[in-house]
Amino acid sequence: MATSIGWRLLQKSYWQSFYCLSHNLTFKKSSLVFTRGFQKWQRPAFQQLYLRSEKALPEEEKPRSAAYNWNRKCEIYAFGKRLGEEFEQDVLQQAFIHKSYVEKEYAERQELGIAEDAEGLQIEHNETLIAEGNSLMESHIKSFLRDHYPHFPEEGISVMHDFLTSDVILEYIGNNIGMRDLILSKDFPPSVQCVKETFMAVIGALQRSQGDVRAKLFVQDFVLTQLLQQDMNELWKLVNPMGILRTILEKQGKGLPEPRLLRSTGSSTVVACYLVGIYSDKKLIGQAPGETVTIAEEMAAQDALRGIFKTRTNHTAIDSIAKHRELNTDPTKRNPLLTELCEQFKEQTSIHVS
Amino acid sequence: MSSATRTSTFLKNVLLNGVGRYVCQLQRVTLQFCKNRGDSKEMRDFIEKDLVDFARNNPGIVVYLQPKRHKRPYFRAEYLNGAKIDFAADNYTRDELGRWLQHLRTRSGVQIQRLRKPYHTDYVSIQGEWTPFTNLPTELNVTEFPNEELSRVVNRQPTATQLVLEMAEKQRVRSSESDGTVSGKLQSDT
Repeated sequence: MATSIGWRLLQKSYWQSFYCLSHNLTFKKSSLVFTRGFQKWQRPAFQQLYLRSEKALPEEEKPRSAAYNWNRKCEIYAFGKRLGEEFEQDVLQQAFIHKSYVEKEYAERQELGIAEDAEGLQIEHNETLIAEGNSLMESHIKSFLRDHYPHFPEEGISVMHDFLTSDVILEYIGNNIGMRDLILSKDFPPSVQCVKETFMAVIGALQRSQGDVRAKLFVQDFVLTQLLQQDMNELWKLVNPMGILRTILEKQGKGLPEPRLLRSTGSSTVVACYLVGIYSDKKLIGQAPGETVTIAEEMAAQDALRGIFKTRTNHTAIDSIAKHRELNTDPTKRNPLLTELCEQFKEQTSIHVS
Repeated sequence: MSSATRTSTFLKNVLLNGVGRYVCQLQRVTLQFCKNRGDSKEMRDFIEKDLVDFARNNPGIVVYLQPKRHKRPYFRAEYLNGAKIDFAADNYTRDELGRWLQHLRTRSGVQIQRLRKPYHTDYVSIQGEWTPFTNLPTELNVTEFPNEELSRVVNRQPTATQLVLEMAEKQRVRSSESDGTVSGKLQSDT
């Protein structure tokens, strides 16, 4: 029978309990003795100890570098090779060091009385690399999209770029490439902003190591592919599409849009469906269904605009991303601005182009 | 255990791997072994003879060796999506160990579950989704219902009377072609 002293010994830590369980130790008259087989009380007792210790002090997530099977130099080398790129190791090391880490290091050094820039202990953070990577990513994403959607207004291209370079997307990409274990920052786990910035820094490092072309292909393969699971037309919300359509057609010298009811079903029911088509010069330019005629008309106007911008289907992007390896896009080219296409609606399209 | 008790999933790919470029999903693998135990012997041989070639051929995978006294040999694999897979490898032969390493290298960190569909697409339809209006003639828009013409019964198969009349016509044509002689007998199908 276990004594109170024995229980206190067992309560010290979960691992001690586990040790007892794995080595079939039990208490016989206040001394540890090896027994054959597990005692009936051991499993539920140790289970309770474990659950209670977890509740009282939940085990903090430790960084991967805390484990003893970790070699930072090898990990960084493998990171580069895994992505199929030849990085300069020094630049790549720098790309993972966040500014917050350097500040923390310097603060610790001050406390210890070591000079901040002591010889042999210099650390460079990745702020310039972040800026370089960000600018290359922005320019390539926009020129790629302009190349594939030449009729899509510049505001729409900006919106798509903002989506692709959002925190959520870049953090998701960065974490699934294996950056999470390598980032050196003030706090662990690294914040979303930190992961996003480190991803940009890696692009900057690649640009420095191998040049623009390989860095652009990297952006294409990892960032632009995220477009495939997203309907680009859903990203850009247009207010008053009918008004915009009317102005665009007027400017182009074409007939003004005339909405007509193409189909209707279930008018007297809750699940009514109306198919409205927009005609210009007696040609059908857009059609869409809706629960009411008004909704259907607005949807049809949006569909007509998609026809004008030539963004009805996303399918062309799939082939392009994989095959488009020549990268002969013109970085200075700009798509027509929507505000230019319909000047009187400048207030309504409140998206600014950078 | 039936498939009803086990979990199932749809086909998944980590970060659209392969669409842009292929990235080996295995991040690092740790080989744990004992320097003395018999069930680690083949593992020790594998490490001496085959492991360096594997590491050289796969520079994107970090290989760690963990000698642990009196412990059985283990594979511990970590994948890019954060999954950790480990299993014991006692008494595995050198060849088997190589094959298991190959398996770890070629799979992703996605959990192995029954696939509900062996395919996945983000594009539901290429030609356009069916709607109740697809293939319906537009004349219906300006048709008053009930409509006599559309309510007519359409005989898609010929009736018995029509079949007999057709046969008689055929025979008449045949007999008129063959020098005007009239055959009294109805000819069976030739």
